[in-house]
Amino acid sequence: MKWWLSKPDDPVKATSGTSSYEETVQQSVLLTTVQDLVAWGRKNSMWPFHFGLSCCFVEMATSMTPKYDVARFGAEVIRGTPREADVMIIAGTVFIKMAPIIKRLHEQMMEPRWVISMGSCANSGGMFDIYSVVQGVDKFLPVDVYVPGCPPRPDAFMEGLMLLAESVGKERRPLSWTIGEQCVIRPEKIDVKERRQEARSKMTEFRSPDEV
Amino acid sequence: MENGNSTLEQLQARFGADTFTPQTTKDEVLTLWMPHDKIKEVLTFLKKEISQPFLLLYDLTAIDERTRKPENGHIPYAFTIIYHLFSFDRNSFIRLKVGYRDEFPTVPSISSLWANANWYEREVYDMFGIRFEGHPHLYRILMPRTWVGHPLRKEHPARATEMGPFALYDDKVDLEQAALQFKPEEWGLQRQSDDSDFMFLNIGPQHPGTHGVLRIVLQLDGEDIVDAIPDIGFHHRGQEKMAERQSWHTYLPYTDRVDYLGGTMNNLAYLMAVEKLAGIQVPDRVKVIRVMLCELFRIASHLVWYGTFAQDVGQLSPVFYMFTDREKIFDIVEAVTGGRMHPNWFRIGGVAQDLPKGWETLVQNFINYFPKRLKEYDGMVMKNSLFKARTKGIGIFTLDEAIEWGVTGPNLRACGFEWDFRKKQPYSGYEMFDFDVPTAANGDCYDRAVVRVAEMRQSLRIIDQCLKNMPSGPYKSDHPLTTPPIKKHTMHDIETLITHFLGVSWGPVMPVGEAMSCIEATKGANGYYITSDGNTSPYRLRIRTPSFPHMQMLPYITKGYTVADLLSILGAMDYVLADIDR
Repeated sequence: MKWWLSKPDDPVKATSGTSSYEETVQQSVLLTTVQDLVAWGRKNSMWPFHFGLSCCFVEMATSMTPKYDVARFGAEVIRGTPREADVMIIAGTVFIKMAPIIKRLHEQMMEPRWVISMGSCANSGGMFDIYSVVQGVDKFLPVDVYVPGCPPRPDAFMEGLMLLAESVGKERRPLSWTIGEQCVIRPEKIDVKERRQEARSKMTEFRSPDEV
Repeated sequence: MENGNSTLEQLQARFGADTFTPQTTKDEVLTLWMPHDKIKEVLTFLKKEISQPFLLLYDLTAIDERTRKPENGHIPYAFTIIYHLFSFDRNSFIRLKVGYRDEFPTVPSISSLWANANWYEREVYDMFGIRFEGHPHLYRILMPRTWVGHPLRKEHPARATEMGPFALYDDKVDLEQAALQFKPEEWGLQRQSDDSDFMFLNIGPQHPGTHGVLRIVLQLDGEDIVDAIPDIGFHHRGQEKMAERQSWHTYLPYTDRVDYLGGTMNNLAYLMAVEKLAGIQVPDRVKVIRVMLCELFRIASHLVWYGTFAQDVGQLSPVFYMFTDREKIFDIVEAVTGGRMHPNWFRIGGVAQDLPKGWETLVQNFINYFPKRLKEYDGMVMKNSLFKARTKGIGIFTLDEAIEWGVTGPNLRACGFEWDFRKKQPYSGYEMFDFDVPTAANGDCYDRAVVRVAEMRQSLRIIDQCLKNMPSGPYKSDHPLTTPPIKKHTMHDIETLITHFLGVSWGPVMPVGEAMSCIEATKGANGYYITSDGNTSPYRLRIRTPSFPHMQMLPYITKGYTVADLLSILGAMDYVLADIDR
């Protein structure tokens, strides 16, 4: 699906071209499949569930405030009930006492639903290899994106959200009966570490911590 | 401290000369062993009969002594119960210990003597399996009801990875959910009164108004709260057990996460105790750097409270302004420490590195910027008539009630009591600073807000003094136990090299003994009570947090108010779940 926005106060630029029949149609007619259109909609409005466990939740909340402004990515509509939310962010430590409740809340979310595991505790237990902590939320929930950090900065959380949005836009969910596979077809998971490897290995000069 | 000897004399005059066995500790708190059968009498005497009484039950905990090294002159008890009392009149602590030789001892409950002993005893029961005779509701408090074993007993595994893989089958979910089912009869609550049926409303553990994973069950008569039962422990991260396997140095990052809004403030509370144990005197520059960072975090923590409190009572915009200001503080914190919420930047005997070049400008900019904002917020929040209507006259407790329930910090000062450990028992060089202790008179939600807002201005004053009078000198003390060890002492001969190597790899070995700290943290009195057996990690570490007793008071102060008022009360209390459950 190709799309773009034209600015209302700049009509000349928007119609630059040959003014051909094809071009005019392209500007006013959208051709797509329903599946693509729905995926596009989902991708651009990921509504998080108002759910926090510990420290990470404070950083997640910070991402909604003006300096970071997660509203830029259509994810500022925090839902108080799981039934209205698209994405559950496991922001913090997954406690054994809390695990059955997390599971139930996840079950209460409507399909399609996604899970972001935010922070080391939710990813793997992190520094809390201790009797009361589940060593990673993926022990009982399917996780779509892992955000590392303890806690991750709001920017890191937003990057995780963007990664999820990117993958949601590519997800294929049959809206009706289809020929072939009936299940949800998910794009391959992205390994950010690999993707950044080259750029990172070129970073050789760093600012000294002795200066502001 | 000052009256330690006279307290002992008074106790001996009343109970006989050989009833108490004094113990010397590194923190110079009067420490007495007492016999089992005298617990209630002695504590009643100290609370009610002695002149200048010990009104505050500061902490109550236990130690599993069964794996102590015998060569350290330790009495071979299996368990020790430790009572920490505090007297405001004397400005001193007293520590009373009772030893038991049984595997599962039974101790007389003092829950009828101090209101806040109730939860402390439940915690000791949950963590150690020690039963309290006469306790009204001796149930588990932190661990799930279905838990087997008592985590702080030495035979209980510490690591999750020692306990086999975690799996959450459907029937396990059902079992756990059934265990969470609230039974009013268990708590002695009626299902109906003479003229109406009560409703039981479950709030949490997942609720936007509870600021975290806290569950409160309300007994409601219409909209009015008849009783409330807080259910905590959903945020229990085993911080105390964790200390028993971390080295003295590597435990620092864990302290950051106890009151996770307090950042370095937690490091300070821990280090105050460790440095007492080690006998380290830190240089002035370290003291001032620490104070500056801690006061910045006090403002940051109060800003989160300010914004979320306003949001709790219906104002949606202040939180956005306040979080923006908090980011300004984090800009400084980040420049200095490299971290944001959990800088993990203080070290045993110093700080991790010196202040970076140009820190003055950052701090000065903030000092110039922030007062105007505070003034704006006064107009936006504190003078707002709706805010006043929602908070004035709500959740009132008197000074006596506050002390009875173990309330400290701004919540205590809102009752009109000018008590601040920074002034009364100065630590880390607070005696060098000029600041006031704000108080308020009514002890309601609004007054708690007044105190915190005024405190931010005082913190700013302290930071300004830090900026203007930052001493020069080293950022680490020249002591053998300073960690990481100072490099210049090594490379002289094989001995110095080995000492350095061990200090870096195993971490320092703290001398045998015990010490307690008590600092004025963002939310109240925060203290670490550490027992060392002469090892690379603590034998037992107890964290006394302010939020635990505050939350315990909730049922008492919400009775008779409405559900909407409950959210004002919770908001004004300023707690963090990690600070309650640890």
